[in-house]
Amino acid sequence: MNPIARGLYFVGAALRLMRGSPWLNVVSVLTIAVSLSLCGLFAMAFFNAHTLIRDLGASLTIQVYLADETAPERVHDIEARLRGHEGVRSVRSLSREADRERNRKLLDPALLEGLDEEAIPGQPVLELELDSALASRGDLERMVQWARQIETVESVEDVAFGAERLRLLFAVLEIVQSVGVVLSGVLLASAIFFVFSTVRLAIWSRRDEIEILALMGATRRFIRSPFLIEGALQGLLGAAVAIVAVGLLHLELEGLVRDVYLLNVQPSLLPPGMVMWLLVGGPALGLLASGLSLGRHLRV
Amino acid sequence: MIQLYNVHKRYDNGVIALGDVTLRVREGEMVFLTGPSGAGKSTLIRLLLCMERASDGQILIGGRNIHALRDDSVPFLRRNFGVVFQDFRLIGRRSVRENVAIGMEILGLPGKDIERRTAQLLESLGIGYRADALPRDLSGGEAQRVAIARALVNEPAILLCDEPTGNLDPKLSREIVDLLSEVNRRGTTVLVATHDAALIEHYGCRTLTLEGGRLTEDRPRRDATGLEASGLGASAVATADAAAPASGDAFPEAP
Repeated sequence: MNPIARGLYFVGAALRLMRGSPWLNVVSVLTIAVSLSLCGLFAMAFFNAHTLIRDLGASLTIQVYLADETAPERVHDIEARLRGHEGVRSVRSLSREADRERNRKLLDPALLEGLDEEAIPGQPVLELELDSALASRGDLERMVQWARQIETVESVEDVAFGAERLRLLFAVLEIVQSVGVVLSGVLLASAIFFVFSTVRLAIWSRRDEIEILALMGATRRFIRSPFLIEGALQGLLGAAVAIVAVGLLHLELEGLVRDVYLLNVQPSLLPPGMVMWLLVGGPALGLLASGLSLGRHLRV
Repeated sequence: MIQLYNVHKRYDNGVIALGDVTLRVREGEMVFLTGPSGAGKSTLIRLLLCMERASDGQILIGGRNIHALRDDSVPFLRRNFGVVFQDFRLIGRRSVRENVAIGMEILGLPGKDIERRTAQLLESLGIGYRADALPRDLSGGEAQRVAIARALVNEPAILLCDEPTGNLDPKLSREIVDLLSEVNRRGTTVLVATHDAALIEHYGCRTLTLEGGRLTEDRPRRDATGLEASGLGASAVATADAAAPASGDAFPEAP
């Protein structure tokens, strides 16, 4: 028997095992599917929140407003000090006129009609663009602290840092991560338990066959392979169900995320990498559980 | 073919199943192993199959010391044996054909060879017409023939039978032992554990008697005249004793 025929023989034997206790197998597959679906959803929520943070981080700036009478040398001095700080990608200096011009463009032209030039706000500004590598909430908090320190610098009147939305996202991300890890752990453990039990029952119901096989000279691998494949097939089927379920759910959520939360972000639908992870993770989960069960219950 | 030297089997609860058993079964012999229930017949068969390990002593199969055999080598030792049990031990959910084919599937033979050999064997044992039946639909005699077919399918050097006629009436018992004798005539070494004295008397094969775990008698085979044949039997115990080695694989073959 060539290796392919041998493999097909084991798959056939595994399918016979599955037919032997169909309902238990269905429960195992569904448990794996639910576990992997929820793990997938948490992973996607985490992935999307992370993308959002990265995008927001890239557009994040700190505006340092200087007093009107600040001498150009002093502006250069402050600019040089800020430029050298960690996490600052670039510093742009705007004169009072340039700032006023920028503000003028932001205002409705109808409002500007007949308005005195001096009435449009404008003051020297240093505009800091930050690195998008704000990997954690800690990074962000350190940046907020630093912005507050800048306020105490002589000649600095005010500092504007739009970090609130990012701070909220980091909080959401932390919750998603914590809940996801705990819940995924519990669900994966329960999936392992179900496959473990299915294989245990299969071993118990086939104990006569196992004994005969062993007496006739079957190796451990020959006896164990169908049970391992049974676990892997349960995992594969569970992963397939999970991929379909998560895909459908995400199609529903896609519009909701954009319309309700007004986030200008394209949510990521089931990325290929995650499909691969589920297709590998499902059988791996089944193999692990059946391997544990065989180690515990199969004596040959 | 089978050599035991001072074999002991003690269980953890203190029960001694076999005590100081020394015997030799030569290639091509047919031997009855008899004794009352609990005498150690099944234990001896379990030791030969490495289902259990001897507490002490040496067991050689085909000159190989199985005492030192690693667990992962046991399956390959077992391929030298065919095994037949009193309760047939057929796999209920598999057809007769599939039950017989298992041995060849284990060896990984091609499907066509398995099919051909299975059909041949079932025909030669007179149960070809039951190939697609499930074990629950077989009579006792048919079931035991299937079990024998399964045991013989890989042409083992040794056939071990543990009370193969225990569940059969006297007529079927004769048929089964006739079949085993035929297998033996074709060169297979056959060891039959039985407490059926009438059967032993009828066939006159060499008979080893175990009582309380000890080998108490080694009665030689009777020839066609009803006289004890020479060269085998009681003397074999003494010969084996004399040749018993201290340890290792390098056992001398029987003279």
